[in-house]
Amino acid sequence: MSFEKLRRIDENRLEVPKGYKPGMRTNGIIFADSVLETGLESGCIDQVANVATLPGIVGSSLAMPDIHTGYGFPIGGVAAFDLDDGIISPGGVGYDINCGVRLLRSDLKRDEVTPKMKDLIDVLYNEIPAGVGSKGKIRLGPESERKLLIKGARWAVEEGYGTTTDLERIESNGCMEGADPGLISAKAYERGRAQQGTLGSGNHFIEVQYIDEIYDEKTANALGLFKDHVTVMIHTGSRGFGHQVCTDFLEVMASAIRKYKIELPDRELACAPFRSQEAEDYLAAMRAAANYAWANRQCLMHWAREAFISFFKVSPGLLGMGLVYDVAHNIAKIEEHMINGKKRKLVVHRKGATRAFPPGHLELPDIYRHLGQPVIIPGDMGRASFVLIGTEKGMHETFSSACHGAGRVLSRHEAIRRAKGRSIRRELEDKGIFVRSAGREILAEEMPEAYKNVSNVVDVVHNAGIARKVARLRPMGVVKG
Amino acid sequence: MCYELIDISGDVGIKAYGKDCGDAWVNAGIGMYSLITDLEKIEEKKTLDIKIKSDSPEGLLVKYLNELIFHFDTYNFIGRRIDVISFSDVSIRARVHGEEFDPGLHEQRLLLKAATYHNIKIVKGDDVCEVEVIFDI
Repeated sequence: MSFEKLRRIDENRLEVPKGYKPGMRTNGIIFADSVLETGLESGCIDQVANVATLPGIVGSSLAMPDIHTGYGFPIGGVAAFDLDDGIISPGGVGYDINCGVRLLRSDLKRDEVTPKMKDLIDVLYNEIPAGVGSKGKIRLGPESERKLLIKGARWAVEEGYGTTTDLERIESNGCMEGADPGLISAKAYERGRAQQGTLGSGNHFIEVQYIDEIYDEKTANALGLFKDHVTVMIHTGSRGFGHQVCTDFLEVMASAIRKYKIELPDRELACAPFRSQEAEDYLAAMRAAANYAWANRQCLMHWAREAFISFFKVSPGLLGMGLVYDVAHNIAKIEEHMINGKKRKLVVHRKGATRAFPPGHLELPDIYRHLGQPVIIPGDMGRASFVLIGTEKGMHETFSSACHGAGRVLSRHEAIRRAKGRSIRRELEDKGIFVRSAGREILAEEMPEAYKNVSNVVDVVHNAGIARKVARLRPMGVVKG
Repeated sequence: MCYELIDISGDVGIKAYGKDCGDAWVNAGIGMYSLITDLEKIEEKKTLDIKIKSDSPEGLLVKYLNELIFHFDTYNFIGRRIDVISFSDVSIRARVHGEEFDPGLHEQRLLLKAATYHNIKIVKGDDVCEVEVIFDI
């Protein structure tokens, strides 16, 4: 057994050499500068190496600069597999299938909103079901849940939550084709029945922000983003429905690895050959969960928009609250990529990573094709969030992927320990940020210093050229679960 | 206390002990419930019967905890006491005593997505069993 050390490729990339761990079929590449390198946990480097042992991996096992230890795959991991020799792994997607972020723009100015911020956050908190054990306003019958799983965000629009113009501003138009409700367990159906239109808890949030810095004016304007305008960001996923789908299929995959004699360094990497019934079933169920998540974010956005309209007592036209874009950051997709000058179809796993297609990509909607794909990066609730845009370089280096957030540095317990005797709510209020949360300890667990500085993370992405900075958003008020 | 918290960067785990594995399973379940809410406030008003089979002790532990998570996340059922009816390395039957979680009444701590196989440990001694499970939150 040989253990090679990490090697710095350039100022933004580290190589995990093929000799880092036995069985690696390819190298690993972690996007990190020297500052982020010092915070890298050994567990997540091992996970990058473990992913490199999986059959049919194409290119390198990649990790974005917000990498931290996950289950099987690291959070921030990107890996692409050949359709004939490769695998698909639920662990490469995560328990929260299609966890993602959407951003709304508005014509409201920061000055108009600041004095009313506290009341606005109270209104949003009352309108958006959030927190442990909370149930939504929607109750799905078996037939409507089936329809939702096939149609995704379109289901929500047909039910009156939002408009059809929202749909083209969602990755995959808010609906993955090939979802099969017949492959969903009774448990997942049951678990998803009352959770549509709920925020959840943990790191999920709805945040009111303002744009404080524009890096690329032309692109920002084309996206409807202007300095000092107010934006709203929503971060959530497929809730208990998606968690149950993942749980169910980890069982299926545990049998599959025995059946297909796949050797794994970690049971959470359980997978099946892409050309197998198990893989086909997982993909169809994962797509249903992805659609559940897109419908969920659509419903929450609709209620947030309604809350703004009634709170500010202005017409929707004057408010100008339009969806900028919605991205999935826990998902597996079949995409075409150029490998050694040849176009190949691959199954790309992004677990805590955001797709970032370049200008001209055929999968982008007409409105954004000339620009590239908007990449929405939430930070912590005290510092900043970012909007980036996909680049040609990302297409070649990361299968068009960028980071998905800041990445945690403190454990939840450590965060609570450090918050003892402090009022995180008061500290944020002193900075002009109003927060409401369902749980008592959630603000401590989610306090800004529990995360890496998102600006450092985004700078690595920008400097490496895999996506380009467009605008920075500052928090004004946050609803947490 | 027959369980303690495992503190890791992204998530959280439970280390539970018992005089045998059935006992450790019970304490892992109660430890897990204590991550969701303050169990002092939970009363024994309802029961939940569960019956789980798996092909390995690790599989059984994960499946059993995921069954409890399912009943919490779907029906808001939260337990404070678990009686094991029968137990083997690969099967468990148990009755959980608890009530319906009320977010207005009970403390909201962590939302658990699932019990995972990540660093799972089951260590059996002569008259002790120790288990470790990490949850995705």
